[in-house]
Amino acid sequence: MSLAAEQRYARQVLHWGGEKQRQIEQSSLLVAGVGGLGATVSQLLVRAGIGRLYLVDDGVLDWPDLNRQTLYGEKDIGRAKLPLARERLNQINSATRISELAGRIDGAFRVPSEVNGVADCLDNYRSRFSLYRALAAGTYFVHGGLSGDNGQVLTLLAGKSQPFDEIFAGAVQPEGSIPVTPDSVVVIAGLMVNELFNVLWGTPKLLDRCLVVGLADFSMAFLEI
Amino acid sequence: MLQLQFFGLIRILLKREAMELAWAEGDTVQRVLDRAQDQVGTAFVHKLLDDLGTPRSGTIILVNRRNIAHLKGLQTPLADGDTLAFFPPGAGG
Repeated sequence: MSLAAEQRYARQVLHWGGEKQRQIEQSSLLVAGVGGLGATVSQLLVRAGIGRLYLVDDGVLDWPDLNRQTLYGEKDIGRAKLPLARERLNQINSATRISELAGRIDGAFRVPSEVNGVADCLDNYRSRFSLYRALAAGTYFVHGGLSGDNGQVLTLLAGKSQPFDEIFAGAVQPEGSIPVTPDSVVVIAGLMVNELFNVLWGTPKLLDRCLVVGLADFSMAFLEI
Repeated sequence: MLQLQFFGLIRILLKREAMELAWAEGDTVQRVLDRAQDQVGTAFVHKLLDDLGTPRSGTIILVNRRNIAHLKGLQTPLADGDTLAFFPPGAGG
């Protein structure tokens, strides 16, 4: 580790140690969606020193995004999020190799074979179902979702866990915009990143176990899947 | 006994995260929902089912970790000791 890297990661290595830091730096993750959840999830992963990050998103930044999409600002309105996210993440930590996967997540989407896990930061069930179906057996999938004061994080292991689209069968996207606040997005994104680290270290804590978070009364509960 | 678990907005509405109900011969998800509503004294079934009695898209119902969409829906038969979970997942991101 270079002197700059030693300094950059000094505070977190004090907590989790050099071996876990090395595992993070040698890992590769796909972050699906760089909107509300994905902007913060990808940012925290890059700050922590993730080795390689694949990003996928086909959105263009709009005003209602700015309340929670932490990588972007007013001057970015109208620009495609994917190259913007890559640019901003690269400014935060140039040691992370970042690849853009253009296009929509649909039945033709392919997940890079080298990824150690996938972060579902999407905002609709159709894309989430397509993403899960695209996973090779043995790939970890960390799902996050939220609405208003409520959110959830769940880890599945493709090929072993109940498939995501079976668990969430019948869950249809609500019509219109979903209420989302800056604080709730960052809370769920932070929990997702914590679990992504656990996945990279081989100790997922939410495997087949959905953490249901309620900010209205600061509650957390487990739903066994 | 049957174990019922409530999550998210359903938990907040009912001000409880779980309850137990005695199991009865012939119990289905629908029957237990009606009995649970009577017992808690708070109308909540309308949050889960529409006017036709069809599950709304916003909440998933699991019986022993399986979505009832893959079982027999509201007519899924229940056995003594079963666990039912009512969970409205957040769809946004």
